[in-house]
Amino acid sequence: MKQIVTLLCLAFFASVPIWLTDPYLLNALITTGIFIIGAMSLNLLLGFTGQLSLGHIAFFGIGAYVSALTSLGFDVPIYGDFHIVHVPWPPIAGFFLAIVISGFCGYLVGRLSFSVRGAYFVIVTISFAEVVRLVALNWVELTQGPLALTNIPSITIGLPGLGYLVLKTKFHNYYLVLAVAAISYFLISRLVHSHYGRAMRGLMENETLAVAVGIDVTKTLTLAAVISAGIAGAAGSLYAHYIRIIDPDVFAFISTVTMVIMVVSGGKGSLAGPVVGGVIFGLLPVFLRPIMPPEAQWITYGVVLIVILFVMPRGIVPSLAAKLGLARAGGTRRASVAVSERTAEEHA
Amino acid sequence: MDQLLQHLVNMLVLGGTYALLGIGLTLIFGIMNVVNFTHGILYTFGAYMMFIVVHQLGLNFFVALPVAIVAGWLLGAVIEITLLRPLRGADIDTTMLVMIGAWIAMQSGALWIWGGVAKSIDNPFPDAPLVIGPVSVSWLRLFVLFAAALLIVLAYSLINLTKLGKAMRATFQDSDTAALMGVNVSLIYTSTFAIGSSLAAAAGALLGPVYVVFPQMGDLAAVKAFAIVILGGLGNITGAVIGGFILALAEELGAGYVSSGYRDAMGFLIIIMVLIFKPTGLFARAERVG
Amino acid sequence: MIRTIKAASATALAIAFLSSAATAQTIKIGVNEPLTGAFAASGTYVVNGAKIAADEINAKGGLLGKKIELVIEDNKSNPTEAAAVAEKLITRDKTPVMLGAWGSSLTLAVMPKLVEYETAMVVETSSASKITTSGNPYVFRISPPSFVEAAAFKNIVDKLALKKVDFLVINNDWGRGTAEDFSKMMKEKGITIGLIETMDQSAQDMSAQLAKIKATDSETVIITAAVDQLTLIFKQAAALGLKKRIITTGGSQNPDQIIAQAGAAANDTMHLTTFLPWMPEKTPNPEATTYFINEWKKRGFDFAGCTESFRGYDGIRTIAAAIEKAGKAEPAAIKDALWKIDVKGLNGDIIFKKSGPAGQESGQSFPNVYLVEISGGKIVMKDL
Repeated sequence: MKQIVTLLCLAFFASVPIWLTDPYLLNALITTGIFIIGAMSLNLLLGFTGQLSLGHIAFFGIGAYVSALTSLGFDVPIYGDFHIVHVPWPPIAGFFLAIVISGFCGYLVGRLSFSVRGAYFVIVTISFAEVVRLVALNWVELTQGPLALTNIPSITIGLPGLGYLVLKTKFHNYYLVLAVAAISYFLISRLVHSHYGRAMRGLMENETLAVAVGIDVTKTLTLAAVISAGIAGAAGSLYAHYIRIIDPDVFAFISTVTMVIMVVSGGKGSLAGPVVGGVIFGLLPVFLRPIMPPEAQWITYGVVLIVILFVMPRGIVPSLAAKLGLARAGGTRRASVAVSERTAEEHA
Repeated sequence: MDQLLQHLVNMLVLGGTYALLGIGLTLIFGIMNVVNFTHGILYTFGAYMMFIVVHQLGLNFFVALPVAIVAGWLLGAVIEITLLRPLRGADIDTTMLVMIGAWIAMQSGALWIWGGVAKSIDNPFPDAPLVIGPVSVSWLRLFVLFAAALLIVLAYSLINLTKLGKAMRATFQDSDTAALMGVNVSLIYTSTFAIGSSLAAAAGALLGPVYVVFPQMGDLAAVKAFAIVILGGLGNITGAVIGGFILALAEELGAGYVSSGYRDAMGFLIIIMVLIFKPTGLFARAERVG
Repeated sequence: MIRTIKAASATALAIAFLSSAATAQTIKIGVNEPLTGAFAASGTYVVNGAKIAADEINAKGGLLGKKIELVIEDNKSNPTEAAAVAEKLITRDKTPVMLGAWGSSLTLAVMPKLVEYETAMVVETSSASKITTSGNPYVFRISPPSFVEAAAFKNIVDKLALKKVDFLVINNDWGRGTAEDFSKMMKEKGITIGLIETMDQSAQDMSAQLAKIKATDSETVIITAAVDQLTLIFKQAAALGLKKRIITTGGSQNPDQIIAQAGAAANDTMHLTTFLPWMPEKTPNPEATTYFINEWKKRGFDFAGCTESFRGYDGIRTIAAAIEKAGKAEPAAIKDALWKIDVKGLNGDIIFKKSGPAGQESGQSFPNVYLVEISGGKIVMKDL
């Protein structure tokens, strides 16, 4: 049942460019889609391990910079006459490198999260994102700092027997973003339904119990952090090659806030949550734009957010699911304890 | 040497206001466990109140200060009662997001009402600075330092010497037990949020005349306040005061001797270092996860 | 002030309603500016200047027998939004030409859209050299990049007898570009370059940087920052007892605001600027300058906004001249016509010269640069 709904949604999203010809809306859908991928990756940390990262944009930005620099090349003086010179590679290589390097950064931050929890983890992640932003701003030889990286090439993919396809148009980019989003969704879904996913939720609900039944905290949290950061890096790479200019503004705190809004309003810990929250809060500004002055658009945006949370404190998807009596998407306390017990049996 | 002395004097002046920002937030964050995104807005609000009272009502600078502080107290109480009280029991992410919504809406409201052009507030102090040997400091900033010190002492006494303070500390330790012992937890939460907010407004009212007043002025202040709170340990007032001065020192020396581009990175680097080696802050007293 | 902002919002609202009911009786011009976020104040100034130009043109009968209509959109000081706004203006509102987008990163984000839709944009404020050197033939810039300012300043450095110079610049493309171009020019003149200090865009406390500069042996500091930060720097420099000659660059500084807010601290400071609202008789087009300033005051805006808003005024007049010359409101014709215009702007003749790689050059106009000094609380012009 649930799979049919997922497939129907995917089919719907895939049909959009066929009937939606307005390039402005398509552009809005592409940028929203990129941020939804970021939000899905954040959900893996926030919704399934309970760790609130307010520096998630760091991985997104690192992905954007890695991908852009890989495809543009650079020449960085390190010490004296010693330079690191990089000749431009195809953008698709940048895309995969972005995933790897962001994932590695996720590993480092993930290591931290064993000792630092709750509010302290929130601040560590904010600090991490700010430090990365300041490095991007000040290491001018590598990143060109505030002078921005421009003319970033579009992603090119080789098709066997058909030559190369440059993904330049919005039509192409929409499907690229949709494909990456679908793969990420599938990956996250597989992960949270696996043995590791149950361990994560067990850990979130009752850490003492989880440890007692033999869940490897270190391994579980690191895995979640690495995959989450890698997906965010992929989203950043898509952003760089679509917008085609990046500067340290990609690390703006408001972008993390956007992702958190998408996750929590949609329903954290629910696979569909970030998608629903993302579509609402990604497209809300588009609909507000023609009907009210700029400041009022922001005020409305804030008020809508507050109202949604007042009506549905657990987020849209879990609240609706509970109302419709469908799946227990959010995972009630009893269900999770049951999960932990099951995990315990598996370990035994 | 002269340069170092000047940096140290700057640190004192800057640290005082950082400390003020920090203690307001550490109360809210520590006692209520709310990631308070409206703290920066209260700072901005205090500064605009100062501007309104001095320039639009034409009243005295020293009258304006308490007005701004009381206004901050009231706004804090309103936010707590309308936005936080109905959500008591909701998890930390939900209340944080509601605070984010309030932050976005209120900041845009400030932009709508007052416009984006920065305002400057007149002050009664002489323009010429106080010069002692190689160091020099403006009279206004000295006044700000003393006012901040006074407010810090007041807040400290309130928490440690009064009945309200005792109830606040009890709630911080264990809100369920405090409630059982007859503490009106709802009232404590509202008071805590209002007091924390009034301290943020006080910092804004004091710094508004030093800097300029514009709708986004609170954003950077709020980030620094969070850093100070974590440095000092959640809910720890003494820690927040020391944390404020440490952050100011790091920024001054970082900009003076390392690189001004990384000035704002210093605070964050310290936080990362501190939390790697001492995950509950430098002066942690109480442990509280989540 | 409150009233004017509300009036401005009401106008924006009215325009929004009008545009939805627009007919082919108007010629649309897209305006892509930051009206919320970090650059809200500046973007609003530019839009107000643009509206004065549009009203003036319409009062005189419009263009090609039609009224012009500004379609104003907020890019939220955010590059992603700036690109989205360009997309909307071109594809939804069908504006054949645009004005925008204030900050360099905002403008750079719009540029790929200009190529995609073959639509020209007049750039009114951005200063990054990349904008006109990266081979985008749809960009026409009327603001001076920093090397133009540096070249103009070259003529006076001998008179000022500069020996050693420190820099304090905002940490963005504008500040970094200025430090680079000015120090290159000064080195050629045999002037020693001391410290190059930066400050964050949103920083309010520059005491640490200033204390460091105070301790050097240079006699002059060159400062590049927007007006609010400049004011703070003057106050803080005075509080630290920094007694060096200060020269500011960039042209969006506002000596009036500096005098009003920094008081005695502003005396003997020098400012490189591109517009002289304090002495309309000395501008290249005194008649237009006087009209613009009177209109600005009549609408109840802060006089301090003039040095930013005139760019919006000049930008719309540039676009109007191109539409007139093209004889039709079509993107390709307007783009070609922009190369042929000669507008008497408020800060010099607007004539686009080719810049960037051959075959796909961007247009760059070279405005006048002036040096003014604050002396005894008054603004005095120095000869360059």
